Amino acid sequence: MLKERVLRFSGSARFAHWGHTITFLVLLFTGLTLFTPALGRVLTPLFGSHVTASSIHKVMAVFFTIIPLIALVINFKGFVEWWKDVFSFGANDIKFLMVFPLEFFGFHVEIPPQSKFNGGEKMNSVVTTTSCVLLALSGYVMWFKDAFPAGLVQWCYPIHGICMILATCMVCMHAYLGSFHPGSGESFWGMWKGTVRSDWAAHHHAKWYNEVTKS
Amino acid sequence: MMTKKKVFVDTSLCTGCKACSVACKAWNDLEAEKTQLITSYQSQASTTYNTWTYISMHEKYENGKMEWLMFKHQCYHCAEPSCLKACPVQAIYKTESGYTLIDHEKCIGCGYCVANCPWSVPKTNPELKKTFKCTGCIDRVENGIKPACVYTCQPGALHFGEPAEIEALAQTRLAEVKKDHPKAQLYGDNAMGGTTYLYLLLEDPEFYGLPVNPTVSSSLVVWKDWVQPYGIWLIPLAAAAAVGSFFTTRIINNANKSKGGDLHA
Ligand code: HEM
Ligand code: HEM
Repeated sequence: MLKERVLRFSGSARFAHWGHTITFLVLLFTGLTLFTPALGRVLTPLFGSHVTASSIHKVMAVFFTIIPLIALVINFKGFVEWWKDVFSFGANDIKFLMVFPLEFFGFHVEIPPQSKFNGGEKMNSVVTTTSCVLLALSGYVMWFKDAFPAGLVQWCYPIHGICMILATCMVCMHAYLGSFHPGSGESFWGMWKGTVRSDWAAHHHAKWYNEVTKS
Repeated sequence: MMTKKKVFVDTSLCTGCKACSVACKAWNDLEAEKTQLITSYQSQASTTYNTWTYISMHEKYENGKMEWLMFKHQCYHCAEPSCLKACPVQAIYKTESGYTLIDHEKCIGCGYCVANCPWSVPKTNPELKKTFKCTGCIDRVENGIKPACVYTCQPGALHFGEPAEIEALAQTRLAEVKKDHPKAQLYGDNAMGGTTYLYLLLEDPEFYGLPVNPTVSSSLVVWKDWVQPYGIWLIPLAAAAAVGSFFTTRIINNANKSKGGDLHA
């Protein structure tokens, strides 16, 4: 069988994804230096001091904000297509989520045909994006706290922490699924080189594969 | 060792002379700042990292007459301080005298205490990246001298001493002042587990722009008592699931392979 490939992610989507990944991870580790004293003792030496960690956190925050905005401007169409698919959440996505825990640990399950993003990826899109937006908003309020009412600033601390935990949990599973998971690992090349194996696409994202190969 | 101490701020006797501010700066070696008039004769809008105590002046109009009501601001040295709870590096601690102090070796100037103090007393020096506030003149008190502000107060509005003595004095003064000012009340006892600075107010706390009954805010409880100690464990749990799956997927695939079944790829 020919190892044909099919285009999955545009250059701007890949730029946004990996730019976001790097800034996210730096923000996570610099942020965690302040999260609990124990984490601080372990992580702070990586950055020299709390003050440096906090400065890096703020510089990275700016990149974390502008990278997706740049991609949005360059490729607005791609962005709209992504969210259109995410919000076309239907019966097949629910079926996917019901059997996914088994699939995740390696059991063979029947999965109904999925669109470009499967039910799990749709959930990931919503939860991760929402937490990242809230992380940024609460982060800027904490950064420029003099400009905001005290009560709002005070709530931004737990919000920043909750969203950090949510997003990081998602990323732990997501990064693994998008790399070393035997089933979905192939998707890594879609995000890295732009294309994935056609037979993998036909098997994992049948609805989407039929659409892109029809035209 | 030192026993717990208290300060009584009798605002009914305060004349707004600001000598306490000056004495505080002199003793603690704090630079003077350019000030401007906020309202009438009040020259300071809030504490700063170089101004640890100041007087706010409130004009009360009644029957065509004006009366000045004064209020002295500084750290209240709470029994259960929000700043201490909020501090991510455990730089804030309590002394046996009941004071709340910042250890500047540990302080990183992150401003968590600034945001969470109900009266926003502490302030961060952005250059030094350290946060400062009233120390209650711990260096004087531990050597048997009154705090600089108390020592200098001319009209006798400030008193320093043992808690029982201070509370008795406050009750006596409250009874006296109530005759002219029916709304007079004590302020501080119910705030943040009880404060070291106990006030006699001539009006409701709101009149002075003070929070009525400040307690540890629910946001601080959610953040420090739930999210940080427990919520964080969700991350290793998610990571463990991923690591677990790395092995189970491969074990199951191998088992299928040896059975000649199809591989999941
Ligand atoms: C635009 C994005 C962001 C901004 C503006 C921002 C800003 C801030 C600020 C101002 C602080 C307070 C500490 C300090 O002043 O250094 C903070 C703390 C923190 N940030 Fe961010 N941040 C952003 C994104 C993120 C992301 C994506 C993560 C992790 C996934 C993160 C994790 C943390 C953590 C764990 C803390 C410590 C919170 C605590 O002590 O409870 N931040 N952030
Ligand atoms: C090293 C870590 C990471 C790897 C290996 C990775 C891998 C991938 C891959 C392969 C895809 C494409 C999935 C598909 O074919 O649909 C993807 C999509 C995505 N990634 Fe990542 N990613 C990582 C980190 C992150 C981080 C840190 C974030 C956000 C904070 C993130 C957010 C997303 C989102 C929102 C999508 C689209 C929705 C989805 O497909 O789940 N990723 N990632």
